[in-house]
Amino acid sequence: MNILLAFVTGLTTGGLSCLAVQGGLLASSLAGQIEKDLQQSTAQSRKRSRQNPSAGSKPQLARPILVFLLAKLVAYTILGLFLGWAGQLLQLSPYMRAFLLIAVGIFMLGSALRMLNVHPIFRYFAFEPPPALRRWLRRKAGSGADSPLLTPALLGAVTVLIPCGVTQVMMAAALATGDPLQSAALMFAFTLGTSPLFFAVAYFTTQIGARLERYFMRFVAIVVLLLAIVTIDSGIALAGSPVSLTRWFNQQLMGNVQPGLVDYQPLEGGNSTDQVITIRVQNYGYEPTFIRAEAGVPTRLRLISKDVYSCALAFTVPSLGIQELLKPTGITEIEIQPQQEGTRLAFSCSMGMYGGVILFEDM
Amino acid sequence: MKKKITLQIHGMECPNCAMKLESIEDRLKGVLRAEASYHKALLTVEFQDELTSEEAIRAEIARLGYQVV
Repeated sequence: MNILLAFVTGLTTGGLSCLAVQGGLLASSLAGQIEKDLQQSTAQSRKRSRQNPSAGSKPQLARPILVFLLAKLVAYTILGLFLGWAGQLLQLSPYMRAFLLIAVGIFMLGSALRMLNVHPIFRYFAFEPPPALRRWLRRKAGSGADSPLLTPALLGAVTVLIPCGVTQVMMAAALATGDPLQSAALMFAFTLGTSPLFFAVAYFTTQIGARLERYFMRFVAIVVLLLAIVTIDSGIALAGSPVSLTRWFNQQLMGNVQPGLVDYQPLEGGNSTDQVITIRVQNYGYEPTFIRAEAGVPTRLRLISKDVYSCALAFTVPSLGIQELLKPTGITEIEIQPQQEGTRLAFSCSMGMYGGVILFEDM
Repeated sequence: MKKKITLQIHGMECPNCAMKLESIEDRLKGVLRAEASYHKALLTVEFQDELTSEEAIRAEIARLGYQVV
């Protein structure tokens, strides 16, 4: 998953989902601030403010909301760093990564079905903080009057303990990157994306959260459901499956590439039976995606990239255990052993989003 | 006298609802402890029956937007 996609996910579904889960916490912390403002007001204005609290305390509310969101952003970025580090420690092979992606996909699927209230069993796909923590959060949220900025900061930071469904999905994706910086950037972009909606809604009213929860949960669920299908499919593709929904979709987007022997050429000055398969690496995948090559001869994959900044740079051939991080612009050659007739060698990016198949035949 | 009731709740859509339901601990005088489970859709309440009643608790749950099954 790339950074921009994480940001857009945060901006749309993540914002709504997080607001539904964490909005109450923010509202409670703001209640303390409102109460404090009310106490400082005259009896007359207090009465007016009680009827319409947000109208009387807007300037005071902006700061605690910003502090809450900033603390949340910092906390989730640090969490991202740890998740990526944990992913790196696991030293994920393509197969392990594929397994993790499929597991993440199943988790997303369960979360989506939970949000759609398909069956009570799917409730277990949501993390429930222990009762003691919930009580502490509730009490802390209610005691904001003493320390108007410290409480929102603290509550913003502890939202890492009550991540919403979409955030949990993003955390799993961050773990799957296996890279602390990439993972931190992913969580940062996502959390930043959730902020505008959070701010707007929290600023104007503390009640819309509950309404949004009701009206938009289905929309969020459907988006998560679609993401789940893409993730499971990516995992299947990364596991080496020659059939993949994502690849098919990417092929449709890139135009229908006719299968055939593309860019087959004997090695110059080398053994005349050697072959070179040239694959162009692009931001949105590889070209060609279906290649016919000769079986039983040493083969060299020549990967040419030019201004590529997507996960297509992390080239893998799962069945051969090949993992190669390509340069954004450059040529990389990978030698592979002669393959038996009929072998379908699947290659893909490290996230299984883009890929293709080489079919080895007797020619 | 101290009493304890467990109620099946309808309308909990996320773990945050559990927190919201547990706030009856602060809202109702006489409620000693409220513990909700989103996973099981249950709410367990311990209360002093001299100070509050099951009816009052049920009414408060309804006021928060949830139904007792």
